[in-house]
Amino acid sequence: MPEIGNCIRRLRFDHDEMTQEALAEKVGCTRQTIIALEAGKYTPSLALAFKLARAFGRKIEDVFQYEIPASREEGIQT
Amino acid sequence: MNAEQKRAWFVLGVFGVCCIAYVVWGLILGFQGAWGAFGLFILTGFTCIFRQREKPDERDSMIQNRASMFAGLSSVCVFVFGCMGIWFVNFAVYQQEQVSIQLFARITLLGGIVFFLTHSLSILILYGRHAEHAEADDA
Repeated sequence: MPEIGNCIRRLRFDHDEMTQEALAEKVGCTRQTIIALEAGKYTPSLALAFKLARAFGRKIEDVFQYEIPASREEGIQT
Repeated sequence: MNAEQKRAWFVLGVFGVCCIAYVVWGLILGFQGAWGAFGLFILTGFTCIFRQREKPDERDSMIQNRASMFAGLSSVCVFVFGCMGIWFVNFAVYQQEQVSIQLFARITLLGGIVFFLTHSLSILILYGRHAEHAEADDA
């Protein structure tokens, strides 16, 4: 499972309840890709991530969150 | 479901038809010539009727590349191990250095079928099912 989470679904609803189809058309991908992103089943490329952030008028860190697994975090600290 | 997924299901359906035809042919006329039933696999050429309305995006390209990679690897493995395995058995067990052309043709057919089946299964698995996250289209 990817370690990168997102809040695309919430942002869509905050933007006048934008549909998945409308968002897909705005960023130049398919609706299936938006569905997979919201389900956490797909990690986008950097270009697509930036397009999604711009579509919502937000920074990329506001849309995507990098979650370090607990075991790896312990390795980094020691 | 996009065009790639439809093509994948179509190929699996054609393979199912081939298997049924093989069994029916074998039961009626004998299994020796029943391999000809797999000639029905030519029906996979009709996958062109499933046309993609949208241009493939990065995820589509990634899935197609991975499916092609898995299909190529598996079919090459089947073909190489099939050929070498049969040659080894022929030589080690029967002390014959020559392999029947009939067997070679069947290995080639098997490699081709494995390619299409692996490609289709990979497409379906990689796309997955996320229907619960899909929203109804606007009217």
